[in-house]
Amino acid sequence: MENSVINKKSEPASSVEPVLQVKDLNLAFNTPRGQAKILEGVNFDLFPREILALVGETGSGKSVTAKSILNLIPERSRETRGQVLFGVKDLLTISGKELGTIRGNRISMVFQNPQSSINPVFTLGEQISRLIRLYLSAKINDLKFKTQCSQKQAVESIAREKLNEVGLTDIKRMLKLYASEVSGGMAQRYRIALALISSPEILIADEATSALDVTVQAHILKLMKDLCKNKRTAILFITHDLGIAAQICDRVAVMYAGRIVEVAETKKIFKNPLHPYTRGLLKAVPKLGKNKPLSFVPGIIPDLVSPPRGCRFHSRCDQAMDICHKQKPESLKLEDNHNVSCFLYKE
Amino acid sequence: MNESLISLEQINTWFPNNKSLLGKPRSWIKAVSDVSLNIIEGECLGLVGESGCGKSTLGRAILRLAPLSSGEIRFMGDDIGKLDNKWLKPYRAKMQMVFQDPKASLNPKMTIFKILSEALALNLRVEKENYLEQSVKLLDLVDLRPEHIYRYPHEFSGGQQQRICIARALATDPKFIVFDEATSALDVSVQAQVISLMRELQDKFNLTYLFISHDLSIMEYVCTRVAVMYAGQIIEVQDAGSLFDAPRHPYTKALKNAVPIADPESGKELGILKGEVPKLSDPPTGCHFHPRCNYKEDICSKKSPLVCKTGENSWVRCHFHEKLWKQGILINSKESL
Amino acid sequence: MKDNPMAVQTDSYDIMAQKVIQEHRKVKWFQLRRLLKRRAAFLSLIILVLALAAAVFAPWIAPYPEQGQGAVNLEHRLQPPSSNYVLGTDVYGRDMLSRVIWGGRISLFGGACIVFFAAFIGVPLGLWAGYNEGISGAVISRIVELFLSFPSTLIAMAISILIGAGWFTAIIALIIPWWPWYTRLVQGEVLSIKQMLYVEAAQMLGYGKLYIIFRHLLPNIMTPVMVMILLDLGPAIIAIGLLSFIGLGTQPPMADWGLMVWEGAPNILSEWWISIVPGCAMFMVVIAFNIFGDALKDILDSNG
Repeated sequence: MENSVINKKSEPASSVEPVLQVKDLNLAFNTPRGQAKILEGVNFDLFPREILALVGETGSGKSVTAKSILNLIPERSRETRGQVLFGVKDLLTISGKELGTIRGNRISMVFQNPQSSINPVFTLGEQISRLIRLYLSAKINDLKFKTQCSQKQAVESIAREKLNEVGLTDIKRMLKLYASEVSGGMAQRYRIALALISSPEILIADEATSALDVTVQAHILKLMKDLCKNKRTAILFITHDLGIAAQICDRVAVMYAGRIVEVAETKKIFKNPLHPYTRGLLKAVPKLGKNKPLSFVPGIIPDLVSPPRGCRFHSRCDQAMDICHKQKPESLKLEDNHNVSCFLYKE
Repeated sequence: MNESLISLEQINTWFPNNKSLLGKPRSWIKAVSDVSLNIIEGECLGLVGESGCGKSTLGRAILRLAPLSSGEIRFMGDDIGKLDNKWLKPYRAKMQMVFQDPKASLNPKMTIFKILSEALALNLRVEKENYLEQSVKLLDLVDLRPEHIYRYPHEFSGGQQQRICIARALATDPKFIVFDEATSALDVSVQAQVISLMRELQDKFNLTYLFISHDLSIMEYVCTRVAVMYAGQIIEVQDAGSLFDAPRHPYTKALKNAVPIADPESGKELGILKGEVPKLSDPPTGCHFHPRCNYKEDICSKKSPLVCKTGENSWVRCHFHEKLWKQGILINSKESL
Repeated sequence: MKDNPMAVQTDSYDIMAQKVIQEHRKVKWFQLRRLLKRRAAFLSLIILVLALAAAVFAPWIAPYPEQGQGAVNLEHRLQPPSSNYVLGTDVYGRDMLSRVIWGGRISLFGGACIVFFAAFIGVPLGLWAGYNEGISGAVISRIVELFLSFPSTLIAMAISILIGAGWFTAIIALIIPWWPWYTRLVQGEVLSIKQMLYVEAAQMLGYGKLYIIFRHLLPNIMTPVMVMILLDLGPAIIAIGLLSFIGLGTQPPMADWGLMVWEGAPNILSEWWISIVPGCAMFMVVIAFNIFGDALKDILDSNG
């Protein structure tokens, strides 16, 4: 199985510097009923050349985490604490101007709905050319010098090359189209091509395939995996679909009610889930060809305006102990870089 | 039990496309073309397909919410295909629908009580004085608490909203319910809750379901029989169990291989299906799937395949299904395409 | 959590209802508090309340009520502001303060009449045109487009010349070009709300057109209509002032703010207060309506 889906990492994760560190990220919104503590103490590292899945249900705070990494959440009526370290810079405190040089350049983002995240009034060709002129001026000059062509031709040939990389064909026709005239799968590939023009160190994919059909999704997932291998881009893949996490990601972080409850390598977490929530979640996932009855975690996610004290999962947990009601569980580091926040594993 | 509750004969639903100045359509979007299908009383029939294949339109056409261009819809033996709104009313109570987006299917300015009362008005067995009592009973059926009746839809979570929608569908005392992607917008754990609720209610009230979804993996858990739709046509109908182990149509297999499985050790690589979904306004000639099919031959682009029975209640539309079946190409699904 | 619902007595439903209603009220209060926390909105509200109170209680507040209604007082002509006449007097010696208060009565009432009747005509037509894509809907849409393609002030002037000058005819003349704006707003809203699944759910239950329009569409378009009414009050006051200014609206000896500005115009360089005082009143009220309407829109939008 040499083309197995999982890339076994050759080096242990701890010996490499993480490209992004999220440290104790807290975020709260003011709502009519009081302050909603959307994120509480979110910690994770993203290493170069890995795909990290951030998995969780609606309202678990996975998208908010991604948006706060790039400081995309409007400042009105929110409070943020913590650090998002990109190299040595804390993205939460640097100036807007400095953030602008990182956002879209060194960290790119791909959103759920591809058609609405492409400007509808310019053709696809105009938009990609603008980005190429912005980020790849050296390459344009190089090409102009080598092939003695005009600026326009150089830009177009680079655009063709970039779109070819994401598996698009019939590019000449496509460059003249508008966002509404291409299918969802094509639009998402185009978006990914745009996001990759600046050769970012990190690509954040926020439910990037959720709006697509499975057959199209399969294309995009394969594309992302190849990109990660060839381009040395780290991908933070935010999804609610555990199938995707299993299929393409190296590590999985599970979020519940604003906290990360478990982080581990994909194989480990699916084989041996430790946190009771992860276990419940895995049992609720329908698996094609394995007709085991679905079970589900009873109850609903807590109201984040008045979250349960202690562990936020204790009211739905069948293994809850006294301490779970009182104390917030710390993240425990077990063997093989398996992190879990649960008192069951405390000595 | 083996009676057909609903049978469809050669149903077509075409929408006008690209109207000229005088309002005459230049071309048609053939959302549903020549679909014949029967739904057996007490079963849950799954309808699976990619977006834009016409599966929602088919569901709506059965309930007469989408226009019917030609064909016959028999509901308990009566042809309801040509009835107008007035004459449809008694049938409306017997056939209900639950939509994909629970938030959009509940009027934000109405309390749950008002929403349920609106549906109860169709149920001739319930007197007006008893609406309150009956609403509470309905909420209890879907595991919601009585005090919820005075709340507005936005005060509920997505899963709860969907359960309210199910309660509304049950209010009219139906025999047949169409679930149009009813669990697609929900989280997996909530989806599992709603599905177990659906099964429970089906047993309790002897309901017949049509479960429309793009998600192949959920089908096995919900349905007894599954119909696969591609570009406006149903290409395969099989029992849910054997459909996944031994698909008969190449498209079914391709669809199945594209589903990511939540098990990193399954060793399965995602199968890639080449090409794009055809436009319904201009479907390919012959078999609609032939431009993307790995096993196509000349005849596929010329002649539309006929319905071939493969079992008591199953059939497939493929010229070469027998050959493929004998060679066992489609069965070994562990290998990638 | 599941208890037998049949054990619950009907009385306790009332208690439940009360509890829920109280909770909903709390959310409304929070919205109102957020609205009033905005300084500009709060100030605008004070101005509007004061203007409205002055208009309603004019006979008791105005220092010279009969002068406010137009009685002349020739021995004190063109007096600058003083302790007797706080805002001075006009050409006929009438107290400007009383005049502005009475003028506000006419201006505000006129503006309100225009906007409410315009909405009253425009909203139902918009509902119908949006929901029905047949011939009737198309006819309404064409009429609306016809009106909207001419400047509305020009239409109003032409109509008032045709049917004669006066306060009442000016109102009618302004309503006629005003309602199509509401029709268009409502039609657009309906076109998007009509796509919502709850409308389809109601159709599936077999409900008719009128039921769906009034029970499902109307309640869901009320918020933008209310905001537009609030935002339109300012322009309506200006429009009726404009017609009066050119002599087609309110007739002397009664006067609204627009007419008063015109009356002061010949003496603007020497006796400035005659024009400036009503002008300022109009300016302040119009701005206040705008700011308050905008703030309300923000708050309602953000709470979805």
